[in-house]
Amino acid sequence: MTPSADAGLLLEHLFRHQAGRITAHLTRVLGPAYLDLAEEAVQESMLRALRAWPYQGIPENPAAWLFRAAHNAAIDGVRHNRLVADKQEAVLAELNRSATLPSEEPLQEEQFRDDELRMIFMCCHPEIPAEARVALSLKTVCGFSVREIARAFLADDRAIAQRLVRAKRHIRERRLTLGLPGGKDLQLRLGSVLETIYFIFNEGYTSHEGQDLIRQDLCFEALRLGRLLALSDLASPSVHALVALMALQAARLPARVDEAGDLVLLEDQDRSRWDPQMIALGFHHFDKSMSGSQISVYHAQAAIAATYTRSTSLNSVDWPAILSLYDQLTAMNPSPVVALNRSVAVARVYGPAQALAEIEALGDAPALQNYHLYLSVRGHLLQQLGRRREAGDCFRDALACHCSEPELRFLARKLAECEG
Amino acid sequence: MSKFLLLLHDDPTSWQKVSPEEMQKAVEKYMAWTKLPFTIDSKRLASDGRVIRVNGGKPHVADGPYSESKEVLGGYYLIEAVDYADAVKKALEHPHLEHGGTIEVRELYRA
Repeated sequence: MTPSADAGLLLEHLFRHQAGRITAHLTRVLGPAYLDLAEEAVQESMLRALRAWPYQGIPENPAAWLFRAAHNAAIDGVRHNRLVADKQEAVLAELNRSATLPSEEPLQEEQFRDDELRMIFMCCHPEIPAEARVALSLKTVCGFSVREIARAFLADDRAIAQRLVRAKRHIRERRLTLGLPGGKDLQLRLGSVLETIYFIFNEGYTSHEGQDLIRQDLCFEALRLGRLLALSDLASPSVHALVALMALQAARLPARVDEAGDLVLLEDQDRSRWDPQMIALGFHHFDKSMSGSQISVYHAQAAIAATYTRSTSLNSVDWPAILSLYDQLTAMNPSPVVALNRSVAVARVYGPAQALAEIEALGDAPALQNYHLYLSVRGHLLQQLGRRREAGDCFRDALACHCSEPELRFLARKLAECEG
Repeated sequence: MSKFLLLLHDDPTSWQKVSPEEMQKAVEKYMAWTKLPFTIDSKRLASDGRVIRVNGGKPHVADGPYSESKEVLGGYYLIEAVDYADAVKKALEHPHLEHGGTIEVRELYRA
């Protein structure tokens, strides 16, 4: 037993991240049609680790151990799987070759990253339905289980499992490959990848019911995938803008909830609790996103997040700048959610009456009538205008919507202010 | 103090749905258990085995492991405890129970 045989010495999320990378590697060797086989081999390797490590100690290079164990399991799998019969010999030879590769070599490291990137692109293929892209990415690239995905999305285990089965059928039937297209097609595919990554991030960032840590994990996984892209040849200004946006928002995660677990609005957050490393990472990618003339929705949102981050206090926020960025964003993506967020800046620049008039114009959309953020923002503006009774009605309606425990407590507090 | 064997029976299918993250946590918890002050020894059994039975006066050797149910004896911990109640109380904290495993607690006769 080596001195490294200590429980605390395993890197955080080592298994999860290795699961993604080994699955990607095996899928390249076996072919995407055998994704299931790759996943089973990875699962088996982790099970072998569970059986061996507690008694033998943690191996010196846990990642390499898992890599080899997964190869051995894949070799067993290929031998027992008659489907690969026609090319069994070639696949076995390649598995044997790749199992003995030293995993620390820089070239090998590069190959792993390349495998992972290709896997992300395949999981986000536009031919796979959007919902399934997210589930498939989390399952194969991020090493989440069906149960974890279901928990993160407040969905039923079976619904997620079915989504995955359908996605894999798509891969087999449409013979999707790990190949990357060139030129315009690549831009299209990249767009779909960025959308999926940002969806995963947002799902983790917007607090729904419960305060499950798995939701923060979604943010960090999305950030990891974004950085993987940003470090590759595929990095474009939009990729950097998305990473900047996610990092600047993630920097605020520690300040978003107070000791009592209550929600803290951006304007009331203790800025000393913002994560300085995340902020530095965000600005690094924000600078890089400026090369080129291309402006994406991620650029506008990253610029908004950067403007908030740069201000030292709420009073020093450059609201006219934020409003003009929201105008740009609205031009690219005229959605009600963008309009709601924009109204916060409108209230700061032109006063709450103007902001209220603008969001009430949106309010005809029936979807918004049951959207707690719409009701909450409207209540807030009415309260600022001294229309306490109407504000109270808004908060009461918002309380009846689907929202998280901290959000419910926040709304109840606002309602009490209006009634008191 | 008496010595007790905790016999860990596995249902191999119960691990199929466990995520890598949970698997890592389980490794860490099992490892922590091998280091507790009352743990004297712990071993994992190899997944294959041989079963010897006598049939009509003649020993027959078959591939094992021996199992009457879908569960397989996977390993053991030798621990110190005051009595069965204490041994069970300790065993209840074992991570083996979190993922569908079964623990058989048996006291060793004192020599």
